[in-house]
Amino acid sequence: MRRVALAIVLAVAAADLLPLGLVLKQAFTPERESFAWPPTWVPRTLTLENVRLLADAVDLRGGLALSVLVAALTVASTLAIALPAAWAAARQPGVDRGLDGALVVARVFPTIALAIPLAALSIRLGIYNSPFGTGLWLAHTLLALPLAFLVLRSAFRSVPRDLEDAARLDGASPAAAFWRVSLPLVRPSIAAASMLVFLVSWDEFGFALLLQVTNRPLPPLVYYLTAFGHPGLASAVAALMLVPALAVIVVIEPALRSGVFAGSGR
Amino acid sequence: MRALRPWLPAAPLLLYLAAFLVQPTLYAVKLSFTDTLTGAFPSVANFRLLVADGLFWRAVVGNVVLPIAIVAVEVAGGLALAVVLAARLPARRVLRAVVMIPFALPEVVFLTVMRYVFAPRGYANAALAAAGVGPVAWLLPGRPLTFLTVVAADAWHVTPVVFLMLLAALTAIPEELGEAASLDGAGGLRRFAFITLPLLRPALLSAVLLRGLDALRVFATPLMLAGAEGLPVLSTYAYHQWSDYGNDGAAAAASTLLALLSVVLTLPLVRRGTAP
Repeated sequence: MRRVALAIVLAVAAADLLPLGLVLKQAFTPERESFAWPPTWVPRTLTLENVRLLADAVDLRGGLALSVLVAALTVASTLAIALPAAWAAARQPGVDRGLDGALVVARVFPTIALAIPLAALSIRLGIYNSPFGTGLWLAHTLLALPLAFLVLRSAFRSVPRDLEDAARLDGASPAAAFWRVSLPLVRPSIAAASMLVFLVSWDEFGFALLLQVTNRPLPPLVYYLTAFGHPGLASAVAALMLVPALAVIVVIEPALRSGVFAGSGR
Repeated sequence: MRALRPWLPAAPLLLYLAAFLVQPTLYAVKLSFTDTLTGAFPSVANFRLLVADGLFWRAVVGNVVLPIAIVAVEVAGGLALAVVLAARLPARRVLRAVVMIPFALPEVVFLTVMRYVFAPRGYANAALAAAGVGPVAWLLPGRPLTFLTVVAADAWHVTPVVFLMLLAALTAIPEELGEAASLDGAGGLRRFAFITLPLLRPALLSAVLLRGLDALRVFATPLMLAGAEGLPVLSTYAYHQWSDYGNDGAAAAASTLLALLSVVLTLPLVRRGTAP
């Protein structure tokens, strides 16, 4: 039984590592090696050729800037909207029930069913395909709100109500009790929510494909490079897309283990 | 007024949902009933077009069959892995970290790799060739095998998450229950059927709901692997109408039907008050 388990574990680990390995291999080997038959599993030559070729093929710098800009703006707007709502939900069961229902609908709503009317609306408003990703930012905020809300609500739930009540007795207004007492206590969760929201926007594909037809952030860029048969170039951009995700894993995994989310229902 | 006071901090959120969830949805409904050519409203021209389009009906079938297959494979796979690995898991911490890797890959990155894995001269066929088996056409449009390949690619990406969910629930079951049952003479299969499975029911149910609602709106996986005409679902069909034909009325009609389906299937969840 132990041997079987070990074999399964190894197979699962191999299957989990393979896609990451292949994307890195294709990113740093010449494209002709990706077209070879049989394809190589281990790189024969390592090169930055794809990165150089990318500069001529697509607007990589613009795509990277757009992805970073939209993700950063999404973090800011999502937190500004979700923080007070999550606090209210953690303190008022009535508010909680109402928001929970609304956000479940937002959470499962098909991307395409919003992307098409949003694209049509942004054409009318003149923000379609905006070089600053205005429409995409608004869509990504909607996408990230349920997630940020869940993380922050459980954080506020773990802040004892007594602390706020004590501040109120000392003469603080409800807003001051929120701003000066509860908010500083949930700072680790705000950091975690920011990272998750950044990744939601950074990874998002559907809205980006429909709303940014020529001013493309990174995910549609990868899609077009793949569709037009550039395994090396697509993989190079894909490798670039991994940087924040891996950074977050390195930061968030230890944080998870050290109990940043302790008391958040885990 | 007093009764509304507790809702004040939630006002920005509710306004945002009204502006960017409710309003676009209403606009999509309006577009669905607007004749794209003449601008006449209300009109059922778009729905007439959908009903007459063979690709639309293939998308409807795809949107039923693909989510069911995806959920079945991922939940069964995740359950099997969890059951085999829960008792004695070698290198548990390393595995937990490794299992998160595909999930940490952005969807479009993972699908790019899948395209090259299942390409005619790709890695899957190379592995088969090394084993002496001829090349397989994994992603030819409209073939049953294409359907299976898309399911396999999605399962490759997401089964680890289902596995982790179920593993957590499984390790929470007290061992004494199984021991007591085996003292009473219950074999492995009976212990699984009468103790493990009933106790796992809540976790299994939420895995099915979570994955099911996600699979219902599946978009990038069939689009990137098989194309909008190779394995259509409602979301790729709507995208096809929008970007290839510029028919925003038909696109809105198809995607609104999908939204309606999603929301109807979600309502029991809302009533239970559990966010997935």
